[in-house]
Amino acid sequence: MITSAEAIDRLKTRIGVDGPEVTAPVEAGHVRRFVEAIGDPNPRWTKEVPPTFLVALAPGSLHLSDAEEYGKGWLNGGNRFEYFAPVMIGDQVTSKGRVIDVYDKAGSSGNMLFIIFQTEYTNQRGELVAKVRGTMIRR
Amino acid sequence: MSAQVGQEIPELVKDPTTRQLVQYAGAQGDFYEIHYDQAYAKSVGLPGVILHGLLKAAFLGQLVTDWLGDRGMLKSFEVSYRGVDAPGHPYRCRGRVTRVDGREVELEVWGEDEEGKRTTVGTATVQMGA
Repeated sequence: MITSAEAIDRLKTRIGVDGPEVTAPVEAGHVRRFVEAIGDPNPRWTKEVPPTFLVALAPGSLHLSDAEEYGKGWLNGGNRFEYFAPVMIGDQVTSKGRVIDVYDKAGSSGNMLFIIFQTEYTNQRGELVAKVRGTMIRR
Repeated sequence: MSAQVGQEIPELVKDPTTRQLVQYAGAQGDFYEIHYDQAYAKSVGLPGVILHGLLKAAFLGQLVTDWLGDRGMLKSFEVSYRGVDAPGHPYRCRGRVTRVDGREVELEVWGEDEEGKRTTVGTATVQMGA
C-alpha cells in the first residue's frame, strides 16, 4: 500500500509529458450510436460530429491508475472544449493527451485530488480541430 | 438574427433513464460503474446511479446547437459539474446571451434539476456567420 503523498508525487512526474498518440476513424455507426445515446436527433450529425463526441473517440488514452490509490471514487469536475475546425464522419482523428496539473485540496467532505488533463485532436490533414480540457477528481 | 444581451434561448428538457446511461456508457466508452450499478454507486457514497457529467455536457451542447442552427459556429464550450443527478427525473437545460461583440456571442448555459438547482453550469462562445 502506498501513501497518498506517494501517489501524488508519482502523478506529478507526468505533468507536461505527452501520452501516446491514438488515431481513430470517425465512423458513421459510432456517431449514430452516440447521438442516439444523447438523444439529439439533429440531421446535421449524419455528416458532422456533435460538440462532445470527441471524448468518445479514444477513451482512457491517459492511464491514471496511479490516482486510484487515492480516495475511493472518481468525480468529473468539468470540461472545456475549444473548436478550430469541424470534425466530419470519415475523418481520421489523432488524439494526444497530457496531464496539465495535479494537486490536492482539503474539502468539506475530506481531501480531494484534482487532475487536470488536456487532449488535442488533429485530423488526417494535420489540422488541429479541437482541444478538450478536463478536471478529474478523486475523493 | 441578432442576439441580444439578456435574451434567453429556447430551453431543452431531457428525461434521462437508466437505460440511457447504459447506452451512453457504451457510446462513450466510459464504463465506470457509478453510472449503471446501483450497489456499486451506493458503496462509494452516492444515492444511486448518476448521470455522466459528459452526458449533461452533451445535453447543453444540444441546447446551443439547436438554437444556433446553421447561423454560425460553436467556438468554445465549457461546463462545470456542481451536483449529481439521478435518472428518472427531468433535466432542464437553459441558456441566456451574456455578451455580444460583433459576430461573437457568449452564452451562459446551465442544467437544472426538478428543484431548480443548477447542477451543471457553463458558457459557450459562438461565431455568427457573415
